[in-house]
Amino acid sequence: MLGKNLFRFMGVIVLCAVFLSACGSAPEPAAEPQATNAPADEPSVPTAVPAAEISGKLTIWCWEAAWEDSIAASGMLDAFKAEYPNVEIEAVLYSAPDVYQKLPLALQAGTGGPDIACVESSNLAQFVALGGLADLTEKVQPYKDKMNAYKWADTELEGSIYALPWDSGPVVTYYRRDVFEAAGLPSDPDSVSAALATWDDYFNVCKTIKEKTGADCFSNNKANNSARLYEMVLWQQGLGYYNEKGEVTVDSPENIATLDMLKKFWDANLVSDQLEWTDGWYAEMAALDKPVATLVEAAWMGVFLKSWIAPGTEGKWGVALMPAFKSGQVRTSNDGGSNLVITEQSQNKEAAWALAEFLLGRPESQVALFKTSDFFPSLETTYTDPVFNETDPFFADQAVRKTYIEAVKIIPVGYVYGPYYREMHSFIQTAIQKVATGQMSPEDALKEAADAIRAQTGLP
Amino acid sequence: MAENVDKKTLALPLVVPRNRWWRDIYKSRWPYLFISPFFLLYAVFGVYPVIFSIYLSFTEWKGLGPIKFVAFKNFALLMKDQLFWLSMKNGVILFFLYVPIMTFLAIVLAVMLNSRRIRGFRFFRTILFLPYIMNIAAASFTFRLLLNQKYGLVNLGLAIFQIPPMPWLESMWGARISLSLLVIWAWLGYNMVIMLAGLQTIPNELTEAAMIDGASPIQAFFYITIPLLRPVILFSVILSTMGSFNLFGEIYNLYNGTAGPMNAALTPIVGIFLQAFANLRMGYASAMAYVYFMFIFVLTILQFRYFGKTED
Repeated sequence: MLGKNLFRFMGVIVLCAVFLSACGSAPEPAAEPQATNAPADEPSVPTAVPAAEISGKLTIWCWEAAWEDSIAASGMLDAFKAEYPNVEIEAVLYSAPDVYQKLPLALQAGTGGPDIACVESSNLAQFVALGGLADLTEKVQPYKDKMNAYKWADTELEGSIYALPWDSGPVVTYYRRDVFEAAGLPSDPDSVSAALATWDDYFNVCKTIKEKTGADCFSNNKANNSARLYEMVLWQQGLGYYNEKGEVTVDSPENIATLDMLKKFWDANLVSDQLEWTDGWYAEMAALDKPVATLVEAAWMGVFLKSWIAPGTEGKWGVALMPAFKSGQVRTSNDGGSNLVITEQSQNKEAAWALAEFLLGRPESQVALFKTSDFFPSLETTYTDPVFNETDPFFADQAVRKTYIEAVKIIPVGYVYGPYYREMHSFIQTAIQKVATGQMSPEDALKEAADAIRAQTGLP
Repeated sequence: MAENVDKKTLALPLVVPRNRWWRDIYKSRWPYLFISPFFLLYAVFGVYPVIFSIYLSFTEWKGLGPIKFVAFKNFALLMKDQLFWLSMKNGVILFFLYVPIMTFLAIVLAVMLNSRRIRGFRFFRTILFLPYIMNIAAASFTFRLLLNQKYGLVNLGLAIFQIPPMPWLESMWGARISLSLLVIWAWLGYNMVIMLAGLQTIPNELTEAAMIDGASPIQAFFYITIPLLRPVILFSVILSTMGSFNLFGEIYNLYNGTAGPMNAALTPIVGIFLQAFANLRMGYASAMAYVYFMFIFVLTILQFRYFGKTED
């Protein structure tokens, strides 16, 4: 009898231990080395501090493509160090999802965080709403009119600004010239742009390509759909998951029509089922035989294609405008794009701002970053630089950057990102997955998602 | 000199507690002091969060800024939260998908290894246990590559036998089956070792006596080994039950931070994690954790009551 009771007791202990280890204790943020050589009294004057007087150690959280391959590789980091000899910089590289996992924990804890962090626009508003980021309203004033207007929306809360925009994601259509030729279609950028005037035209071109060559038109996974393409088409129309009054618009007729349009592509079996950012997805773009014909994606995709996804396909790609939702409407959208934030817990805000301003506020730095990495600057004063007229052998000597500029100037304000983006995005993903796999109609799936979003967020 | 002083202070305490309970503690104060670091750390990192999250479950909080008291709002929302109930359902489905198979395989392998007829006992035990100590992130990633619908080795292998490619990670049931395969692969050795330890406490004489009385090895297995092994099997099944609701690392890595196609692999712990650390809704996540805790608690008591009866 004792044995039985003891066993029962042990069971409860084990149960408690499993429970506690699973969800009782929050993961602790990794202890990052704190700057210790900070000057005791921080100068609070926003500008006009001589460069040599700014000192301190900066810790930066960023990911490899943005830091190593862009900022460090461009030589701008060395240029900064030459101008600000007393600032020491330590970059801690994580994957972007890891930054988004660790940064809120550090902001919540009020310690253990970086001085500067890279944050994509899609995640920015959530952190701004959380708090713990330094208010940059005064400091960004000189740049208010120089950056793409739409970029500021996610940096702002109640009239204050908490980030400096880095790059924009003007969406274009990447296409394989060889596939278009094999299908008997014109393959020069202007003709392709004209042929893909609307999503309906795109659908017909896809059908021709499939019939003539057997190639899939683009990749868009059904069961694990990432919702990114749907979001691009919403943003293109100035729509999103909510409207300017803050009302949830997930189940609006416009949103349903958008998903209906994408559903046509799945139903007609024109798209490949590879999930973005997986090996299968890369393989289909790098293929020389029967690759996917097109990819609707932002300007930053160019550098990924030519550097590591499909370096063997040089000269086979072209860049056309994104199809409009309806004839005559906007022929671009936005996807992603990054910013730099400074944390409130930073002991060296002055030095942190100096670095952010040096990298993102100066046209010559932004141009250098763009040359290195193709992250399209949000800083509009750079657009007159001759670098934007250069042709690119990867795109068969097309001057693709002119197309990006054409696109970035007309990106509308979208309501996709925002403080509730992460949960809205996750509900929409499920809804699209149900539609793509044929389990629900767009209307029912979006209605279900809208109800859940309203219940969770408390928005009307 | 110093020794004398120490003895004096030890022998002549200033205040001797009157209460008997405190006096007993006082007598063993040195042992208590030596074990105290664990309990102090446990109080800070274990007990305090558990109690604090009771309070949090009645509030709305992002982890920063003001804590807003909302009484039972979180619990009311939770009752209508389809995702939460889907996660519970997924836990039950996963339990039936892998626990019976894994437990059965663990017993069979343990009995085979325990029979002493197998050469290289240590070698096989090590091989079977190896997946358990393998990093689950690496294992999940490998499974993801193997199970890719178009390029994965598994489907390429099936193609040799003219079997069409299976949507391993691309459908709700495929996702759950793939996850179960991964869990069985990772946890079979662990359960086998538990069973093996249980088997080694059963004296050989019992089976031998039965054999002399004319029982076949299979009869001896079902009428002697299994009943005597029952407490160990119960222990292993209870751990696996909680395990299937608690699955996290496997899913997080297999589905790249999401809960699989149409939330097919959303377990309660993944749901709690996403609410707390992706959506930054600490109050709601705490409420989920407590409702989930009560569910597991009741489930475990029921398992003890109905399957834990012993003949003593």
